[in-house]
Parts: sequence; structure tokens; C-alpha cells
Amino acid sequence: MSTTKFTKSHEWAKVDNDTAVIGITDYAQAQLGDIVFIELPKSGDSLKQSSQFGTVESTKAASELYLPLSGKVIEVNEDLINNPQWINEFPQEKGWMIKIKIENPVELDGLMDEVSYKEFVDKEAHT
Amino acid sequence: MEPKKTSLYQKHIQEKGKIIDFSGWLLPVEYKSMLFEAKAVRTSCGIFDASHMGELLVKGPGAVDFLQRFTSNDISSLVPGQMQYNLFLNEDAGVIDDLMIYRKEKDLLCVVNASNKDKVLAWLTENNSIGIEIEDASSKMSLIALQGLTACNIVREVFGRDFEDLGYMSFLEKKAEGRDVLVSRSGYTGEDGFEIYTSWDDAGFWWDKLVSAGKRYGLTFCGLGARDILRIEAGYPLYGHEIDEETNPYEASLGWAVKLKKEFIARDRLFKIKEQGLKRKRVGFIMQSRALVRQGYPVYSGEEKIGEVTSGTYSPNLEKFIGMAYIEKDYAQIGAKISVEVRGKRYEAEITNFSFVNQKTKKNLSKEAA
Repeated sequence: MSTTKFTKSHEWAKVDNDTAVIGITDYAQAQLGDIVFIELPKSGDSLKQSSQFGTVESTKAASELYLPLSGKVIEVNEDLINNPQWINEFPQEKGWMIKIKIENPVELDGLMDEVSYKEFVDKEAHT
Repeated sequence: MEPKKTSLYQKHIQEKGKIIDFSGWLLPVEYKSMLFEAKAVRTSCGIFDASHMGELLVKGPGAVDFLQRFTSNDISSLVPGQMQYNLFLNEDAGVIDDLMIYRKEKDLLCVVNASNKDKVLAWLTENNSIGIEIEDASSKMSLIALQGLTACNIVREVFGRDFEDLGYMSFLEKKAEGRDVLVSRSGYTGEDGFEIYTSWDDAGFWWDKLVSAGKRYGLTFCGLGARDILRIEAGYPLYGHEIDEETNPYEASLGWAVKLKKEFIARDRLFKIKEQGLKRKRVGFIMQSRALVRQGYPVYSGEEKIGEVTSGTYSPNLEKFIGMAYIEKDYAQIGAKISVEVRGKRYEAEITNFSFVNQKTKKNLSKEAA
């Protein structure tokens, strides 16, 4: 059974046993506006939690992407490179970015679940 | 300073426009999607609030002679009802602002950039030794731009046939439904379209009328983001990007708006620039792969840095990344390969004509028909 966790920098991680699929949230894509460019790491790259794993760029600005969990990249959504608008259209489905093998499951405890993330976003939207 | 609201501000809030502070004005950068909006203008029609633009009225019989001294294009060639693109140049031939001049029966209406309005007004006032009356009408006037293929249908329904028949760069002042309007066949998108000047208080009335008539014609609310994309696609310069006080009109490829046969303060300097030849030139380019370029990004030919990007965007109509840059003159050849550095990586680009899209202004439409 999978669970989805969230970061304060608006990434999501769909965790299934020792792997996680990573993307950005609906709230993040709405803030960014039309996404026209994405840069992702290569399969095999090992990255630490909170390190930059890529860049997403909308017509308004470029934003860095931060990895919710340490791990090794085992799959990259290559189709997204030529279809970055999928991040706007389906941020948690077709707009997924990378799949990693989780290195340190303890890090999961520091992430928000869906309810806390929703509260976090509501707060951010009203400040 | 507290940013100002246009008289249409509440309309933008109702339509869920994403509001930003642009040159001291609160305006929507987009409603839902600037790419969608920019596409809508080239396939049907878009409506823009351009009330941030500055309107300066230069009044009386001395107005033409007075403004001739500070501008590069020839205002004396205009008859009432015609308008013209023009440049305010300083003595060094640097661009103080670019503007539209409307030749009215008695006065000249100068439509200037919001960001430059105060500067231009102060500059003209300082050089006004002959007592010409200059009125800043910006806070009394609103400007709605209606741009795109179906704009003329909407204008016919709302304002009548007289307005629909306007030629490119012509305008008509009239009372419609008991309210004064000035409508011109012009715009900043490269499409056929109209710019509609109303009193501050009437803007909401006309906005609603246009929106309601526009329902049948695919009218889309458009923000500043779409306005910028469309003007880049059309190859039009924007002050602060392609032109400023450090650029001259020749290198900006705006020589067509310079008439050296008339007397004006930048004339001597422009002759010198012509004699000495240009160092750099404004060019348009299309990226050969996915990469969004922005102002200030370095431009290379091989390993040599030859210039800088002035504007860049993703063109939803071409489905390509495009931009403009200043580069050393010898490299400014259509078809030449250059590269642009984006976050430390080089991406290939090809120099092209400025107008990335086919211009469909009234003038070009009639050319095609002829």
C-alpha cells in the first residue's frame, strides 16, 4: 500500500515500500503558472534529502526542485521533457518526475501527510 | 508608493486575474494561463486593460512644432485622425521613451509607457520655454485593447460600422451611447485590433459591453503576460528591454521611425552614428531546443561572447522558444547560428526575422487582398 508525503517546498513523494515517485503539488503548479521547461537528473544519480534534483520553469520564473528523501534515481519521466504542461494538467499523475530507491526511511517521519500539507498550504495562502 | 488600481480593477478580481504590481499599477499578469490567452488572440480575440499607459495632451497650434524637436518621426506628415509610432530622443540619440502620437483636430495625444510617464512629462516641461500647454490626462483616461481576428466584429456591434471601417493607424473620436470614446485601429500584438480610450468612469461600461458582445466571437480575458508574449512574437520592442537611454534607434532596428530631413535635437548625433557605423544590432532568434531565455543571458558565436538577450519567451503560437538580443553587428545575419547560455549551459539558436508570426494588422490584411 502506498502513502503520499509532502514537503514545505511543495514536492510530493508517493511511497511504495522502498521506492518513491516524486513530483510537485497542484498548489505549486498553480503558483508557477504555465510550465514550459523541466530539467531532471539522470537515472543512477544518488542525491541527498533536500538537495536540488532539477529545475522547473514557467513563463514567469525558474524554480528549483528539492528532493523529499535521500535516494538513488531509478527512473526518470523522459516524456515530461517534451510535455512539461503535464505538470500543470496532471501534477500528481502524468506529471510525475522521478522515481527513487529510498536510502533512509527514517526521513519519512519528517514529511507531512496530506492533511497537514493542506493545513500548511491554507496558512501559506493567507499570509 | 502605493500601487494604483485601474478603473477596471474589480473586473479583474471578479475574473480571478492574478494581480501584480506593474510599473506602479495593479494589473492581471494572467487570468488562467498566459499561453492560452496569447493563443486566443491569434485564433479569435482578446481583451486587455491597458489603462496603465500614460496619456499626455500637448495642446494648441504650437503643439506639432514643439514635439517635432524632441521626436524622431515626422509628426507634420499626419492629418487629424491619423496616428504614428514615434520616439522621444535625447541629444545623444538615446531613447527617452517610445510612444504613439494621435493627431487630433487641435491637440496631440501622446501615449507613453507607464514606467516613463513622469520622466517624459518632467523632460518636456523642462524644455518647454514657449509656454505650450501639456496636460497629464492619465488619471482621467482608461484604455481597453481589443486584439485579434474577430475584434472588428465586436467593434461593429458595440460602436457601429464607422469604427469597423477604420484604417490601420487611424482613429475616430465620437460619442457613442452619449459617451465620448476614441477608437484607433492599432495595437501591440501584430494582429488586427483596436485600442479604445474612454473616460476613467466609462471604462467599466464599455468593458462589459465588449465582453458581452464578444461572447459569440471567442473573446478571452488577457493579462500582461499574454501582452508580452504577443509583442515578442510580433518583434515589437519594449522599453527597458530592447530600448532605453543607452540604445539608439538604428541599432534597435527602428530606423524607419527616424526622419533626418526634419530638425530635432538628436539629429546631429544620428548623422554621426550613421557615419561611424553601428557596433551592435537588435536581432530576433529561435531556439533550436527547449530553453527559455531571459533578459541579460549571454549570447555566443562559438566561444566568443557577442551580446546579451533583451527578451525571451515561449511562443505558444509557434510552439518554439524565441527571443531578441543585441549582438555585435557583424554577426547579425539572418540564418546565422548563435548560442545562448541558460544557467551555465549553452543552447543553440538561429537568427531570424523579427516578426516571428505573420502580421495580420489591417495594413497587412489589405496588402494580401490586393
